[in-house]
Amino acid sequence: MILLEPNSYVLEETLLARFTSEKPEIVDITLVDFDNVVYHVQTSAEQRNLLNLSVEMKYFNEVVEYGAQDILKREYGDYLVPTANPQYQITLQFNLEQLPADKAALAKHVSMLKRNMLASSFIRAFEYWESQQEGAGPLMTTHYRDNEAIYVQAQQDRVTVIFSTLFKEEVDRVLGKVFLQEFVDARRQVSIQNAPQVLYSSREPPLEIRHLSNLRQDESVGYVSFVLFPRHFADMESREKTISQIQLFRDYLHYHIKCAKAYMHSRMRLRVQEFLKVINRAKPDRVTAASDKRTATGRYMRPHLRQPTSPQHVESDW
Amino acid sequence: MSRLPPVVIDNGTGYTKMGFAGNTDPQFVIPTAIGLPNQSRHGIASKRGIEDLDFYIGDEAISNAKTYGVKYPIRHGQIENWDHMERYWEQSIFKYMRCEPEDHYFLLTEPPLNAPENREQMAEIFFESFNVQGMYIAVQAVLALAASWTAKNSQQTLTGTVIDSGDGVTHVIPVAEGYVLGSSIKHIPIAGRDITAFVQQLLRDHGETSIPPEDSLEVARRIKEQYSYTCHDMAKEFAKFDADPVKYYKRFDTINSINQSTYSVDVGYERFLAPEVFFNPELVSSDFLTPLPDIVDTCIQVSPIDTRRGLYSNIVLSGGSTMFKDFGKRLQRDIKRIVDGRVKKSEELSGGRLQAKPIDVNVVAHKKQRHAVWFGGSIMACTDQFYQFSHTKAEYEEHGPSICRHNRVFESLA
Repeated sequence: MILLEPNSYVLEETLLARFTSEKPEIVDITLVDFDNVVYHVQTSAEQRNLLNLSVEMKYFNEVVEYGAQDILKREYGDYLVPTANPQYQITLQFNLEQLPADKAALAKHVSMLKRNMLASSFIRAFEYWESQQEGAGPLMTTHYRDNEAIYVQAQQDRVTVIFSTLFKEEVDRVLGKVFLQEFVDARRQVSIQNAPQVLYSSREPPLEIRHLSNLRQDESVGYVSFVLFPRHFADMESREKTISQIQLFRDYLHYHIKCAKAYMHSRMRLRVQEFLKVINRAKPDRVTAASDKRTATGRYMRPHLRQPTSPQHVESDW
Repeated sequence: MSRLPPVVIDNGTGYTKMGFAGNTDPQFVIPTAIGLPNQSRHGIASKRGIEDLDFYIGDEAISNAKTYGVKYPIRHGQIENWDHMERYWEQSIFKYMRCEPEDHYFLLTEPPLNAPENREQMAEIFFESFNVQGMYIAVQAVLALAASWTAKNSQQTLTGTVIDSGDGVTHVIPVAEGYVLGSSIKHIPIAGRDITAFVQQLLRDHGETSIPPEDSLEVARRIKEQYSYTCHDMAKEFAKFDADPVKYYKRFDTINSINQSTYSVDVGYERFLAPEVFFNPELVSSDFLTPLPDIVDTCIQVSPIDTRRGLYSNIVLSGGSTMFKDFGKRLQRDIKRIVDGRVKKSEELSGGRLQAKPIDVNVVAHKKQRHAVWFGGSIMACTDQFYQFSHTKAEYEEHGPSICRHNRVFESLA
């Protein structure tokens, strides 16, 4: 698995199992997605054929400002419940007896919910670009995790996306840095000239967001800026693809750091095995040529007992 | 900030059960198999790209078996290949569970008598590679005991005998106050796979020619799961079937997996003969002949004398092959019979001078038996104590993987 999927596999599977089960059972399932998103799948208390999906999303209020509510209505309008369950931000309700024919497609579509919510600031930026206004658009911030954020800003000819990411551990920070620098270098290859431009800075925030006051400035923070050009979002198809891929960047990065560590551990285990082989080879030979001699009864000769200086030379047979 | 639910992963020899704590069923039950591309000539060091990410786990590994070599990293409950296991976890966390391990606590399981080195390896992988917040490694048998707490007649203790019967082997594991009594563990080489094979053989014997050979095993497995029940007495059950076949014989309708035509199979004696394998192993095996109740009894008899009453009074079932209807009742009756016989004999031998206090035999069956270990883990990870018992990242950094040799559950007992 090289790329992470934009939809939540576990949510898709859980919903599909409920949609296709013959008799509605009472369920109460809690699931988690990247970036502290919690899904709660629950059968309605009064009616067994109603299935509620509640979503807890810390940054929901932020994305609402960028038009997430409209997206929600457009994509999931048929299922949306006007007031969400307490402590959740979104609640969808499915009537298991009145589902569309293609249940798999519905489950897949619902499992894209988090992706669609996070897409709102991107879509807003792309729309700003389409309107051909002068100057830079508003800087849109989504605090998708505690202390980490995505900044999206539209310019006349491009859209800039900046990720701030936090490395909890020293090793991760170093690996992340190497990884991101490689990213910048790999961009120079001829074959991927169409990829968005990538800039990386650790500690120093990029110019676009430097005026913000609440930025962390220490070694554990890294900033990655992507510069998207119209070819990345001019037509609808590439726009959707760009959004899906770029918003998972943080998880993708952390996934790959973990994979890199796992790979290094494999190498280390292999190396230890090789060293062990060498050490085992260095064991002294226990059996020497002299002691190989046996007596008639099958016992070994013991050379150290046959000292030439001793007066009585005993044939060592014991 | 409310904590995200811990992740519970139970890696078994055949299947891995994983899900989020607080749920009653695991979200994924997938084979513990990893499909790796056939190795390049130059070995591991020649990697230039992202070949190390090119692999599948679970059902996908099995379905890609033609182009990928399928490996099973766990043998006999113990992790044999750490490289494969590390990558298996990598994908199960990021693709299947879809969570950022840095945000979660993890509850993992280990077989009884696992070497502490294995536990350390596990801790190393989870803390070093995945940077988990905290982790706890629980013994499978103890979790199975915890799972039985939801049953009606349960006593909510960590003392009891666990009968764990999965696909490959059946274990009888005595646990006293959360400690596994390692020296008394017994194994039985009969489990789900053997029963399915037995049912398959029975179907063949009574001439069910309509079953296509490629579906044969699958049909046998489904018949075993749907129609089997445990009887009181084999001879009487045969008589019952012969007297009123219409009532007892069942018809199993299914679809041919290749040409989609329907066919039906008559299900007869195999209904009660399948679980009977545990009580009369001579049905399937020629070298292993001790019935399960005898094994359970011996297992408890070789345990320390002060634990025996507790072990008899809380015999807990776990694993898919203990799901037969009335399996617990039959087991309870048979064990009770053995125990009462022994007590009676000792009273006789004492010449009536000694009167023993009757021994309470209690077999606990519950609804979550199939994934009892995972369910027990899910219950445990929901409690507040879980966070106290877990080893945290900070402790790992301070002391190293050896922290996992110590289990804090027992601290209060000492």
